[in-house]
Amino acid sequence: MNSWIPQKSLIFMLIALGLITLPHSQHLPLPLFLFFGLLWSWRFIAIWKPEWLPGKTTVFLLMLTAIGLLYSQHQGILGRAGGTSLFVIALGLKLLEIRGTRDIYLIVFLGFIVAATEFLYQQSIIMAVYIVLVCIVLLATLITINGLHAKIRPTLKKAGIIVLQAIPIAAIIFVLFPRIEAPRFKWLEAEKNQITGLSDTLEPGAISELGLSPELVFRVKFEGDIPPPAERYWRGPVFSYTDGKRWRESPNRFFKRYMDTPRFKGKAYHYTLLMEPQNKPWVFALEMPARFEAPLQRNGFYQLTTTKDPAQRAEYNITSYTQFNTGYLTKTELKDTLQLPGKPSERIVKLVKQLGGFDLKPEQFIANLFNYFRQEKFFYTLMPKKMEDNPIETFLFDRRYGFCSHYATAFVYLMRIADIPARVIGGYQGGEFNEAGNFLEVRQANAHAWTEVWLQGKGWTRFDPTTAIAPERVEQTLDIEQQIATRTLTIVPPEILHQSMDWLKRAKQILGSVDYSWQRWIINYNRASQQGIFKHLGIEDLKSIIYWLLVLVGTATLIMARFILKHKAQPVDPAVKLYHQFCQKIPDITRKPGETPYSFAARCRQAYPKHAETIDRITQLFVKIRYYPNSPKEMLEYLKKQVDHFSCT
Amino acid sequence: MENTLTPLLNAANQIILGKDRQIRLAVCCLIAKGHLLIEDIPGVGKTTLSHTLARLFGLDYQRIQFTSDILPADIIGSSVFDAERHEFRFHHGPIFNQMILADEINRSTPKAQSALLEAMEEEQVTVEGQTYPLPKPFFVIATQNPSHQIGTFPLPESQLDRFLMRIELGYPNREAERALLLGKQRHKIIAELPVMLTPEQLDELQQAVTEVYVSPALLDYLQNIIDFSRQSDEFAAGLSPRGGLALLTASKAWALMEQRNAVIPEDVQAVLPAVAGHRLKAGSTDAASIVAPILENVPVV
Repeated sequence: MNSWIPQKSLIFMLIALGLITLPHSQHLPLPLFLFFGLLWSWRFIAIWKPEWLPGKTTVFLLMLTAIGLLYSQHQGILGRAGGTSLFVIALGLKLLEIRGTRDIYLIVFLGFIVAATEFLYQQSIIMAVYIVLVCIVLLATLITINGLHAKIRPTLKKAGIIVLQAIPIAAIIFVLFPRIEAPRFKWLEAEKNQITGLSDTLEPGAISELGLSPELVFRVKFEGDIPPPAERYWRGPVFSYTDGKRWRESPNRFFKRYMDTPRFKGKAYHYTLLMEPQNKPWVFALEMPARFEAPLQRNGFYQLTTTKDPAQRAEYNITSYTQFNTGYLTKTELKDTLQLPGKPSERIVKLVKQLGGFDLKPEQFIANLFNYFRQEKFFYTLMPKKMEDNPIETFLFDRRYGFCSHYATAFVYLMRIADIPARVIGGYQGGEFNEAGNFLEVRQANAHAWTEVWLQGKGWTRFDPTTAIAPERVEQTLDIEQQIATRTLTIVPPEILHQSMDWLKRAKQILGSVDYSWQRWIINYNRASQQGIFKHLGIEDLKSIIYWLLVLVGTATLIMARFILKHKAQPVDPAVKLYHQFCQKIPDITRKPGETPYSFAARCRQAYPKHAETIDRITQLFVKIRYYPNSPKEMLEYLKKQVDHFSCT
Repeated sequence: MENTLTPLLNAANQIILGKDRQIRLAVCCLIAKGHLLIEDIPGVGKTTLSHTLARLFGLDYQRIQFTSDILPADIIGSSVFDAERHEFRFHHGPIFNQMILADEINRSTPKAQSALLEAMEEEQVTVEGQTYPLPKPFFVIATQNPSHQIGTFPLPESQLDRFLMRIELGYPNREAERALLLGKQRHKIIAELPVMLTPEQLDELQQAVTEVYVSPALLDYLQNIIDFSRQSDEFAAGLSPRGGLALLTASKAWALMEQRNAVIPEDVQAVLPAVAGHRLKAGSTDAASIVAPILENVPVV
């Protein structure tokens, strides 16, 4: 079948496909993307130079190249990347063999699949809007092949209307269609890709530069008041064990049988935490989480973890108190939090002695240590030099430049020498308030380390040695972007930040807020939230789900149909109906849309001279009824009889 | 109708050989009360056709040869001082005739063209504040050279719209050419032609055109054609409402000539190239290929 395809359809289609595959350039291997680009440009040029299209042999060779490329890049077609590449390359190859409208349909549908694969990588609202727009262009391709419209603008408008008309039904199905926690199809499964985040070890001496990134870690929406910046400590992993350089979690994570139950005081903060995909099951709750729901668990270090896959975005409802008392200390905890890597050196013991670590009360010793940090020449920097040998002593006595984890680890080390149980806490501190959406955004650059000391009668108590050096780090808002750009710590007092919040910042916040709602309500809509809606509607079993779906989709379709048909409906002339029946009864001859009844009759007469008389009679009757004034009713009946009896065989 | 028009058409076919369809269209244009534009290269019989029609219709006719230096006054007339009566008197120009043969209209400047075209539209002439009505019936048959020829001022679209139809003649076929070469000189035959249609008969015909029945189904088809011309990007601009009316009138006249009292799609398709060609693509002379997408795509039934 070699039917002629309008140039405009081809241009429309190629542009749409180009736009669809463009975002894939971010994650497809470059050779594969370039290969697709080559095929695409080839087809584009061939619109005007059809003789340049490849022959069968060339297409075959190209296919072999494609298979070779696929295997060299992915070792197969399974997995998310391999599967996507397969679709994109298949699309490119199919472009080179367009022979009829059938191929166009196939390509357009393949295009829709490729558009959908984009969501395997990115689910932001911007990408969603982009994909919808591109799908409109792709739909326009179908319209140009099928319709009378040839102008660009009405075609795009029509495609847009079609998409708009589909939205109500899509929304109903989105909400009500039973969500199956999909078994992970291997060919679509995401590889564990690099999600940055806190590590489960802490090695301050080995880092010469703190990795800062504006990447979002989680967002928090408070019901009611928001804790002041100085209280925004988001608790992560707890580092107790050290070999002198590296700090790790104690293995006794779940040893909580003998632990005291914490008592909470003061103000309760209720909030919803939306975690971005993570590679660790840690959920960063405000210190100290008191109430939470499954799948959250609290381990022996008062840290929340989830039992679900952390690579999925998830939302949790948590209640925290900033004032608390964890009660007595267990033996295991005591052993873990007094652990030292070996005998401390003389000068460090001397320092502890000098600050009263061995004879004063722990509170007094801590105050002295804070003063020591403050009065001696200690500095806060994001770019300390490496301290590979004995990092704590090097830091305390030689370098004195460091960031939060240097101070936290040195502080804990000194505490332990004085026989006071202490440990390092990792997590995030602060968070930027988004005014447009009324929530806090916590980013990777908010990562922080602080300490906890167990005090008699108070339980585990937070001390943040960084506040002794750079209190602004904790009390005020970080200008994260500037910090990242200049690699220096710039702290902006909130009121100045407020003034300088120009429209760009405002727009950013609004976008952030829209994205937050999008993530919460659309991306994060899962089986659990669906169950909530079902409960609300009184849906209990599959049968009633189907019933609801059918009724709602049916109603939407009826309303839409009424809306569309109201404009288009025209009573069908019975004569026209009969005439069409007649046309279909003539074998091998199809009436062209622009063909008049008489010229059609002339063609039929030639093909079937035996029936010339009947053909003429029917044609004349039809023309009389349809175009002449006041044709009597009997004429229509006569026509019906003629058409019913007509047969060419 | 049969009786009145058939001899006329036959007589015209004796003069212009092998151009049956063009002659029918020209006659159709006149009974639809429209002005006619004939466009072709020189020497294919444009002037002969218009002379023939004027003779056969028995109308007072005047030929105006348009040249690059013709002035509006040469067409309309001018006031001349009458020495005897001591006053200005209006001398009627050649336009005050029932049929005007505007030869090579695109050789004149736009100023002279517009003098004629204004008269065509308003059926009257205003000179120095005085209005003079034009005779009735009033027809203009204009001929023009293809615009790619040297020394032409192509008519703008707004003025082309005033012609109901534009037809092309084209070269005669071999047979007709032979007959032409063998036959008598054309202008001699034209001079001997009898009048075939009385003014009363013409009036009757024109009246009959307006009475031809148009069914809603046909109007649907007509409107689909108009919509298509406006939406398709084959054409820079679609048919104007005046263009739509012209198509309807011409289709009615064609139906009448086909001895039918109702318009059928065939009639619309028959007149479409002549009526829509110059309105959709002024520059091109190949009317058939201009309207081909319309005929092909707009569903008839």
